[in-house]
Amino acid sequence: MIGRRRRAVRRTSDGFVLDLDVDEVHLLRRLIGEVRQLVTGASPDDPKLARLFPPAYTDDDGSESEYRRLMHDELVTSRATAIDTVETTLAASETSKNRVVFDAAGLEALATSLNSVRLVLGTLLGITDEDDEPDHDVPEVALYHFLSWMLDGVVEALMTGG
Amino acid sequence: MKHPTNHDNGNVKLECVTPVATAPATIERPAVDESTDVAPDSPWVVLVWNDPINLMSYVTFVLQKLFGYSLQKATELMLDVHYKGKAVVSSGTREKAEMDVFHLHEHGLWATMQKDGGRNDDGSGS
Repeated sequence: MIGRRRRAVRRTSDGFVLDLDVDEVHLLRRLIGEVRQLVTGASPDDPKLARLFPPAYTDDDGSESEYRRLMHDELVTSRATAIDTVETTLAASETSKNRVVFDAAGLEALATSLNSVRLVLGTLLGITDEDDEPDHDVPEVALYHFLSWMLDGVVEALMTGG
Repeated sequence: MKHPTNHDNGNVKLECVTPVATAPATIERPAVDESTDVAPDSPWVVLVWNDPINLMSYVTFVLQKLFGYSLQKATELMLDVHYKGKAVVSSGTREKAEMDVFHLHEHGLWATMQKDGGRNDDGSGS
């Protein structure tokens, strides 16, 4: 490993360019596709989705049911729309020598979509203690850290303009 | 919340230049009076809770984006969430609090709402 830290996102004259190779783009497309399927297809009570649909009211079951009734579908639509935006940009990159370029709105969609993937993966990995240093040799843990690195780069670009 | 881990698996040169339209960030920045955290007569408060998955940088970004807070204000709230376990990030009518919670949920944050003072004895029967 080289000590240099790679940056996930660079600002260029034509947008925010993601520093991903072809395998990473494939991986990202697969992951957001899986989350899209989970979000739109799985039961809202699926434990994998617990962090994507947290309760709004913790001590009022009636209000909580009402919140879910009113907002759940909106949350699903919002997540799917963000993933669609990211998917479109990633798909376009395959016809442009893997150059992945987002505009600012697309980069925001990427941030929420990456976070959705992390919330599902983190839940599956049973990450319950932020001081835990999970074993990097486990592929899913390495993947989780890869997504964290990418999201941090995306957020930095959004907050500083790249 | 979690600090990101350094990641390095090589660099790839992406040489083809494809023009892509850039748009200004569509970030809503509602006017916010930063001198008061919570209006004294606000019946509902929105809380964000600490969790081990969301990144500190991401939480700060979302608070700035949704509530128009300055970087300093958003960072202070994020640090409260991180070190104290939770923070009140907004307040107002029940309807406003519910929309704020919705937008926080939309962004994957762990947010709840309750009547100011910790009671949740809403009787509006909605």
